[in-house]
Amino acid sequence: MLSSPTPPSGSRGLAAATLRSVGLMDKDARMKDATEKPVRKGGVHKPAHKTRSHQPRAIDAIVGKNRSAASSSRNPTAAARIAVANESLSIRGASSKVAASSVARLRRNATTVNPGRLSGITTTLVDLWRQFVQSRYNPEAKFLNLENMLDDDFIKKNNLVPPGAPSSSQKEAAVIFKLAKELKPPVETLSLARNGLTSSVHLAAIPHYLPNLKNLSLEGNALRSYKDMDLIAGRNGKLEQLRELILTGNPVRELQYQNNRVDKYKSEMSRRFPRLEILDGEAVAKIGFDAPHATGASSSSVPAATSFPFEMGGPFVTGVDGSVVSKFLMQFFPLFDSQRTALFDAYHPSATFSFSANTNIPPRARVEGFHYSKDMPNQRKLEWPPWLMGGLGGSRNLSRMKGGMEKMAKTLHIGSEAAVKAMMDLPATEHDVVGAPEKFCIDAWPVSTADGAMNLFLTIHGQFTELPSRGIRSFDRSFILTPAPEGSRAKQNGWDVVVLSDQLCVRAYSSHEAWRPGPMKIQTGDKTPRSGTPTADAMPAWIATLSHQAQTQIKEEASVIPEPQRTLVLQVCQRTGLNVRFSVDCLGNNGWDLERAVANFEQVKGTLTREAFL
Amino acid sequence: MANLTEKDIELASRAAEHFTRLYYTAYDGATRVDDVAAFYRPTSSLTWNGNPKQGSEGVKELMLGMPPTKHEVHSFDCHPIFGNQPPSLLVTVSGTVTHGTASTVPSKSVDKQPRVFSQSFMLVPDANAPQTQAGEVAKYYIHADAMRFVG
Repeated sequence: MLSSPTPPSGSRGLAAATLRSVGLMDKDARMKDATEKPVRKGGVHKPAHKTRSHQPRAIDAIVGKNRSAASSSRNPTAAARIAVANESLSIRGASSKVAASSVARLRRNATTVNPGRLSGITTTLVDLWRQFVQSRYNPEAKFLNLENMLDDDFIKKNNLVPPGAPSSSQKEAAVIFKLAKELKPPVETLSLARNGLTSSVHLAAIPHYLPNLKNLSLEGNALRSYKDMDLIAGRNGKLEQLRELILTGNPVRELQYQNNRVDKYKSEMSRRFPRLEILDGEAVAKIGFDAPHATGASSSSVPAATSFPFEMGGPFVTGVDGSVVSKFLMQFFPLFDSQRTALFDAYHPSATFSFSANTNIPPRARVEGFHYSKDMPNQRKLEWPPWLMGGLGGSRNLSRMKGGMEKMAKTLHIGSEAAVKAMMDLPATEHDVVGAPEKFCIDAWPVSTADGAMNLFLTIHGQFTELPSRGIRSFDRSFILTPAPEGSRAKQNGWDVVVLSDQLCVRAYSSHEAWRPGPMKIQTGDKTPRSGTPTADAMPAWIATLSHQAQTQIKEEASVIPEPQRTLVLQVCQRTGLNVRFSVDCLGNNGWDLERAVANFEQVKGTLTREAFL
Repeated sequence: MANLTEKDIELASRAAEHFTRLYYTAYDGATRVDDVAAFYRPTSSLTWNGNPKQGSEGVKELMLGMPPTKHEVHSFDCHPIFGNQPPSLLVTVSGTVTHGTASTVPSKSVDKQPRVFSQSFMLVPDANAPQTQAGEVAKYYIHADAMRFVG
């Protein structure tokens, strides 16, 4: 038995490789020797520098293992801490005999295989970090203070390698933040000030383990670039809750201040952390909304509607002479299709233009199979790159735009000249606004500005043929239009209104049936009465033929019967003329089989009295 | 009338991101009748699939009759509009929306698929609204809103 301990080499290998990659084993050559042999046999070992790790998983493996192996560490009384510390010192120091002999004991006793040696070491090293992290936590303030770890006595005494130390890797940081995740109550404020951090690789694990972090200080480190901040930037599920950030004393901030680029620095940072309120101790400029704050109000007791409040309405144009709108569109789209340079006059000198591509596949169009339809043979020739990359800057879909200010500024074309130039770089189009008006839908009305002027708010949805493929795309285009001043070049060239703002969204084709006026169905729950009192329209139409009294009675009695029985009962009522009570009996005696119930009724109907009927 | 600066653009984009997240979370939420109405003022005008509504009260009326929703925003864009300072904003959103209680059974029928929606907002600063947060340049509300199902 002793000679054949059939270790599960896979898991041992994983633990050892993980430890080594974490950098926690490198310092103890003896232990390394002792553990590497069986690992090599298992064929899992790789040198640390070649280990391509997904650190969250690797760390999960360590700590997960550790947790089951040393449950006592979850109750870190002072005595337990000391015991752990002693054990660890003895392992890491001159005599590794204690550990080795205890492992031997374990092996002897083991009926199942226990990679005790490895888990023992893992426990110890992770526990050292845990002990450190816990000693630095202030639970009242929810503040984890990891300032200046290099100078910490405990770190020095135990030869731990904190993030930012010359020989550190991102793995130590991952261990620390994983342990920080275990702290109760959860960490809200984290300081990593003065750790000599030169790169954000040490920060990369923060969003994973502390996604709800509210305040972060990186003061007095050596972070240099905006790109460094992208690893923790508050979008795409990263630090979205971050409200305060301190970067004072890092080149990424100080160089901008020295070069009079303070605004740029502030913009770059606020852009990366959308909820940021305080940057380096100063309030961040932002636009507020009357956001619904969790009032704790219970949800409305009004039952949810099961149909739309209105039908699809036709084009809505009000408060403006309809001919102004149609004249503008009839001028605009033919020029957009044939001669975009001529649109120069249609744009205000300070107009803004941008376009964006929504590349998602429309669910209804997919089911209808337009993409492969014989009637639209060119759909498969359409490609997105001309819209994603074209137009002198590319698509301005802000929901997909990561990183810095540059792309955001480059994709917004300001001034009539820039607007027209960008449009000229987009694929050629054909909008059939004259020949097929039903394929377009317009909503427009005047809006007042702060200084009392009137502008026109205009949205148009429709489709165009893209050239040269001749595939068809859908689009939405929103304009803010303003009257062209008398005597202006625009006015002289026949434009009564000019564009102040123009946003074009290009999508995959969907049919214009989407806005055909009339009733619309909701996707789920439509016409299915919810539990409780059925509404009048949930009752079958034939009931209307009954006397008023009979109607009231049948609704009342049927309303207390749950579905699906209620539908059956009402069908029996309809086919037999029995009232609800007798219909229920009849169905109940026939196993709730509608046909059997009706057949049974036919057999016995001669014997029934008046009270059985409606 | 100063020209638009990079700061205007950055502020506008961040506001749009903030706004779309707040707005559709409110729209899809349990207390949406009041929450969505809070974005509007009595002078706001809006259309829902070509049906006009006026002001916060009109929004409440609309939301009371609205089946439960689930919005997914696929793209949005925002411009600061040349003119007053702070500038008005034009925000356009494209995405999908499902109405009704969540279905457990996936369906192949067209009627059961989410719709594509397009919604455009004109957001303007409220000169009278008190500042509620440090750094708040202005409080904005929805002055105009046009929403349509387009696919």
